[in-house]
Amino acid sequence: MVLDIGTVLKLLRDNVERTGLPVPASREDLTGWSRGLDLPSTGETLLYTGALYQLLPRIDALARQLESLEKGRAGRALFRAAGRFGRLAGLAGLVLRPRRGDVEYAERVLRSIVGLLRSAGVNISYDPGLDGYSGVLLYDLGLDSDFRRHAERVARALQERGPELVVTVDPHTTHVLREVYPRFFPWFQVRVRSYLEILAEHADEVPWLEGSAGQVTVHDPCFYARHLNIYREPRLLLERAGYRVVNPRRWGRLTYCCGGPLESVSPGLSRRIAERRVGELRETGARVAVVMCPICLANLRRVGGIGVEDISVVLAGRVRGLAV
Amino acid sequence: MPYSVLHERLETILSLLGDKELRRALERAVRNAEGKHLALLERYPYLEALRRRAKRAGDAFLERPEELVEEAMESIRRNHGTPHLARTPEEAREAVLRIAERTGGPVVISKSMVAEEVGLRRALEEAGLEAWETDLGELLVQLERGRPMHTTAPAIHMTVERARRLVRERLGLELSEDAGPEEIVAAVRRFLREKFTSARLGVSGANSIAADTGTIVLVENEGNIRLVTGLPPVHVVITGVDKVVPTMEDAVAVALVQAAWAGLYPPTYLNLITGPSSTADIEHHRVYGAHGPRELHVILVDNGRLRAARQDPLRWQLRCIRCGRCQWECPVWRETANHWGGPVYGGPMGMGWTAITHSLREAAELSLLCLGCARCDEVCPVEIPLSSIIRWLKSRAHQG
Repeated sequence: MVLDIGTVLKLLRDNVERTGLPVPASREDLTGWSRGLDLPSTGETLLYTGALYQLLPRIDALARQLESLEKGRAGRALFRAAGRFGRLAGLAGLVLRPRRGDVEYAERVLRSIVGLLRSAGVNISYDPGLDGYSGVLLYDLGLDSDFRRHAERVARALQERGPELVVTVDPHTTHVLREVYPRFFPWFQVRVRSYLEILAEHADEVPWLEGSAGQVTVHDPCFYARHLNIYREPRLLLERAGYRVVNPRRWGRLTYCCGGPLESVSPGLSRRIAERRVGELRETGARVAVVMCPICLANLRRVGGIGVEDISVVLAGRVRGLAV
Repeated sequence: MPYSVLHERLETILSLLGDKELRRALERAVRNAEGKHLALLERYPYLEALRRRAKRAGDAFLERPEELVEEAMESIRRNHGTPHLARTPEEAREAVLRIAERTGGPVVISKSMVAEEVGLRRALEEAGLEAWETDLGELLVQLERGRPMHTTAPAIHMTVERARRLVRERLGLELSEDAGPEEIVAAVRRFLREKFTSARLGVSGANSIAADTGTIVLVENEGNIRLVTGLPPVHVVITGVDKVVPTMEDAVAVALVQAAWAGLYPPTYLNLITGPSSTADIEHHRVYGAHGPRELHVILVDNGRLRAARQDPLRWQLRCIRCGRCQWECPVWRETANHWGGPVYGGPMGMGWTAITHSLREAAELSLLCLGCARCDEVCPVEIPLSSIIRWLKSRAHQG
């Protein structure tokens, strides 16, 4: 049974309109990871997470629900009924039970990123009140008026804060802030860079552990590799950290998608693409595939068959004195 | 119903995810085709310059489409050919039918996506004419009563087992129990020989048309195009207006780039056709209709193209040379073939072409199946911003 796309999209739009987030989550869910890190709330370099890592356990829970609805016979009818009675948010709240392990891993990713930047001597600030969601999913689905409405608020807040540099942590948020916001809002003139770009520039300053760390393969996310031309940086960093990188058959600018962007339209098709990619990653003989995007992380992990770890966690484990 | 096209197509796609025959066919073909253009570029580095030339030729069309079409028509006339400008599929079909009713059948056709687009074969059959596709893949699609599943490899969804069954059952040809591709090709060759020699009309497409000389350029490997365009007394070319480029040099570049990015380079044959065949061997008196056709008609199909040439970002689709590279490399197409697509064009290039020639609404809904991964942008030889076109289409999917 195919999903009722109209209802899925309505669920997404309503959530963003009501809460600023694509799936229900609290402020604590979004910013709790930063507790105890003593991050200053103001500074020249501002960390903006875009919330994807924090939301992913919830999006993943929703995706699993959608997948079982698509497989079941009643999927469309159930969704339609929920839509008709205006209980979409309730339905979403009911079904979204993120797994504790996923939530903890997302927090570990963000704490690792902060740890890595600090170990490279980069002073960053983080304002939990300013952090939020970029609206990227709305843009990717062509929901332009919803995206514009939401993104304008985010863009204004960032512009008014006026940091020298906004540091992002995932490819989708990096792309939408750097490439899409200026097209929608010509007044938006904030410099945006991924933490991987900054870290690669400061790689010499990081106190890496010595010795070999073994072999890994790298899954380049499409938005870093093709849209932003970022694929050398992760390899440089992994090699500095002592890893031997074995590239899969398709990598760099020709990397192959994890299938994630289709999970809200057709979980079955999305999974098939992910399975194909996992097969390629396994062909390398590496036991761990390094990813750098929360969507890739969730989608490839859902398939299984190979260890999938975020690059921040992998790198942080190889920095002297860094415990996250 | 909103998203009804998408829902209907998704039903098909989900059921195909378990189709073992389709899986097997795509597995074999994509493994062979993927990344081929990169190996060719390494071996023939000049292809890079040709690719840029083909892109510039496409841009020239976008800058002055009407002017170039007019120039091409004038050049075709100067060479004793007959140009026709068909605004709609109906006009295109009528133009061919008028000629076919005069010549009679059989009609032999060499693969043309534009002929598919205007529903030409069916129109000829409905007019009581015997019409045969002569490209093997397209013939298999004709026998299956299906539609092309890839731009340059229309029967890509079929395994050898299925091809054997179709040739045996629909053409009544005798094949051994475990006939492989070689035996099937030989049997079809024997069957089509008789059609070629008895055909009164040959219909081909075009890879490109040079506006300055009126030359039709066609690239191929099977040799069927040579026969379709050379044996029957009348030759009709049916193609989109977007195939017109400024010069003969541009036209040849486009055809060679098409072959290379399709992964079939060097092509076995490159055909250049400028007017009907002729001889001036007796008293230097020019007689039309020597060994090749005595009549050449060129039907330039608009069907939304000239309007699209003024519409950003859809206009960039018109630079497309139909190599099908974006299809080979797309993760969604890899699982669905042209089932992700409109009635004729599928995959990344198929979204734009469906919007231009068939239905913007349908293309917009189907575009929601795009990952936005931009692998298509990366491999397109003429640098069409395919993922941007598709994202623009997505934004049209939600409008009333």
